[in-house]
Amino acid sequence: MSITREFTKGLWEILPPFRLVLGLCPTLAVTTSAENGMGMGLATTFVLVCSNLLVSLLRKIIPSKVRIAAYVVIIASFVVIVELMMQAYAFPLYQALGIFIPLIVVNCIILGRAEAFAGKNGPVASIADGLGVGIGFTISLAVLGAFRELIGSGTVWGNSVFWESFEPFTFMVRAPGAFVALGLFLAAINLISSKLDDRKRRAQS
Amino acid sequence: MRDIIKMLVVLTVICTASGFSLALVHDVTREPIEYSRLKFVKEPAVKAVLSGYQNDPIKDRLSIPVGTDKKGKPVKLIVFPAKKDGKTFAVAFESSSAGYHGDVGVMLGVDLNSKKLTGLSIVSHTETPGLGARIIEPNFTDSFKGKPMDKELGVGDINALSGATVSTKGVVAAVNKAQATLDKYRDKMVQ
Repeated sequence: MSITREFTKGLWEILPPFRLVLGLCPTLAVTTSAENGMGMGLATTFVLVCSNLLVSLLRKIIPSKVRIAAYVVIIASFVVIVELMMQAYAFPLYQALGIFIPLIVVNCIILGRAEAFAGKNGPVASIADGLGVGIGFTISLAVLGAFRELIGSGTVWGNSVFWESFEPFTFMVRAPGAFVALGLFLAAINLISSKLDDRKRRAQS
Repeated sequence: MRDIIKMLVVLTVICTASGFSLALVHDVTREPIEYSRLKFVKEPAVKAVLSGYQNDPIKDRLSIPVGTDKKGKPVKLIVFPAKKDGKTFAVAFESSSAGYHGDVGVMLGVDLNSKKLTGLSIVSHTETPGLGARIIEPNFTDSFKGKPMDKELGVGDINALSGATVSTKGVVAAVNKAQATLDKYRDKMVQ
């Protein structure tokens, strides 16, 4: 498979929260606004790309019996780096994301990519894979966040867009709203992908 | 046997490398983290009590050692100076005193020339909502503006809150405590 292919598969084929339904904890918890979703996505992308690169470089050195332990140490180190950097240079975002930054360590997307891809492929392909999955995750979170923000607080990227008497549907920015929004998105994505499959089948026959 | 040794060595090396790189990042980010913590947590209070300065009070902050706590650790008073043309004309610092329920923390700004309060804002409190918690209202905090810092402040000098006498007294006590601090460390604050 070519490098572009490794990159683009993360954007649709294995789009983490909507197609694989992985990494749901941050997906549900931090998408109260587009900005928070985007920040979380970018932090995850950074960790994913760095850990993919390091895991693929060390894949021949790490004995397979202790590989998970080694991966977790590598991932945890990058997460702490992100946390410190964010505190130093993006404090408001750090305050908004809170506990979910350290929790990137246990995000199954990252360990999943390290185990399923970076542990078996070369560094360049691993970076492409990490970037693709990370950007797919970032876009998903930002779109979900924008949707919830628009309906739940009537704003887009913090700017008010509705008429003055608009009463925001605050249910959408609360925890139950996250499940409803995710369900709607999953339904839409499933519909689109089944239509695409149909077309592909018809084209073949 | 060789397998086990290899595992041990690889894991140890990875963990050591991780430890070293984290220590490095921690060292590099320590200063900016302290700065942004103060910037986003304290700056709103500092802005409320000081005005007309041209510098960044957070960046120019001074730490003055003011003794030790019960465990023998040094306690530091953080002073935010307001400068105009490179000269400190006012300072902001925190003080606290017991209110009705727990400590009331206040940030106050003092004009060093006229020795008068330029403003006061409540930074932390756990007073009763609806009663003592009214100490955060501008109606109350604004009445401290322009009060002299060289003689003791009484409850009668300010717009005391009815129904929240103990909380009011707590804030006044914090101001009086700050007067003592100011007298004692004034020279160090002007540096």
